[in-house]
Amino acid sequence: MEGNLKRELTKFGLLAAGFLAFYFLPFSEKYVQEAIISGFTMLGSYAREHVLFCLVPAFFIAGTITVFIRKDAILKLLGPGARKIISYPVAAVSGGILAVCSCTILPLFGGIYKRGAGLGPAVAFLFSGPAINVAAIFLTGNAIGWEMAVIRMVAAAISAVFIGLIMQSIFKEKGSGGFAIQESGEQVSWQEAVGFLALQMAFLIVGGLKIDPIVKASIMTVSAVAVFIMAIRFKREMRNSWIGETWDFAKKILPYLFFGVFAAGVISIALPQSFVESLLGGNRFGSTLFASVFGAVMYFATLTEVPIVQSLMSLGMGKGPALALFMAGNSLSLPSMIVITKLLGKKKAFTYFGLVVAFATIWGYIYGNLLQ
Amino acid sequence: MKVEVFGSGCPRCKQTEKVMKMAVEELGLNAVVEKVTDMMAMMEKGIISTPAVALDGEIVLSGKIPSLEEAKKLLKRL
Repeated sequence: MEGNLKRELTKFGLLAAGFLAFYFLPFSEKYVQEAIISGFTMLGSYAREHVLFCLVPAFFIAGTITVFIRKDAILKLLGPGARKIISYPVAAVSGGILAVCSCTILPLFGGIYKRGAGLGPAVAFLFSGPAINVAAIFLTGNAIGWEMAVIRMVAAAISAVFIGLIMQSIFKEKGSGGFAIQESGEQVSWQEAVGFLALQMAFLIVGGLKIDPIVKASIMTVSAVAVFIMAIRFKREMRNSWIGETWDFAKKILPYLFFGVFAAGVISIALPQSFVESLLGGNRFGSTLFASVFGAVMYFATLTEVPIVQSLMSLGMGKGPALALFMAGNSLSLPSMIVITKLLGKKKAFTYFGLVVAFATIWGYIYGNLLQ
Repeated sequence: MKVEVFGSGCPRCKQTEKVMKMAVEELGLNAVVEKVTDMMAMMEKGIISTPAVALDGEIVLSGKIPSLEEAKKLLKRL
């Protein structure tokens, strides 16, 4: 009953907010019209440039990882007996394979913390998990630039190790007990699974390259056909769950992403350039810090951080603050802060929040000022 | 028998709950399907990938949405 009431109240809130917005927005004003058109223009460009050759293959890859790639081998490296030198780096980069969607991050974090390698690796995983996934990296690369995509991934992984180590050295908490891993028996060999994944990666990577269009089209066609042939040779059950998981990702991510892209288009007109420049402009320390804190509090649905940062950059946000916004924006949001505080307790949680903001700021500042 | 479905409330977990309920119904079992959203409970059980399913406290599935066939097979095993 309580859940029902809450849901109805949420619906009411949304409807009321919509009503008030439609009631008060001066639609006859030119700047309001321009902002709305800009939202649709941005949606148009995302639909044309990013959906077919970046997002769709990325969803298929996420589906493949979920269904075909066995995770127990990686999880063993994060178990209670794991050595530091292995568990930290593995935790920092394994987000891409273990947690293809943000809703799987928290249980994994909890498991590593309580039953696995302990607080440090768990925190490392929590920090970098959402940033290191195929879709986020490729969308960043295609929409903003490959330099940002690579530095975003590298900075997240390296900071994750350090944040984990610092947390562990302050609080010294080890996990014990091991995980409850239950995976259904293998239906395909690992060679097949890896090959299947590699073919889809090839499609995605080549799709983003600026090479001779004929070479590009032929590689993409060959890999798409090969994926198709492999898929029809798999057992029906496997194929169905592969398509099912892929569809699930698309369903879960695309509506929010489209909304985020529209919002990004709107703010690129609605926010005055001078305003963005004064808060986030250049690569000053102040704007980098502001970007980190803003990113930490603000909730970005999966991938929506990309169009938002893209718009803010077109309004004058510097590269450094952009990186800081990516780093803190992915790892934290007000809702996730509440959950993390519940899980870790106030002291540990706030130390973690502080470290996230600090590392995002430092990386942003270094990147913004070294590469100018 | 107690069937517990662990998950944060994401669509995958809701789907799993639905499938388990359907399986219980089709097999005509006398079982309650219960949804567990408490992260602490999941942590204690060592569940690291949701959705997960436990039968009478024993985890039998984790990290995927079962098909109706699979769900029935799991329930029959008891």
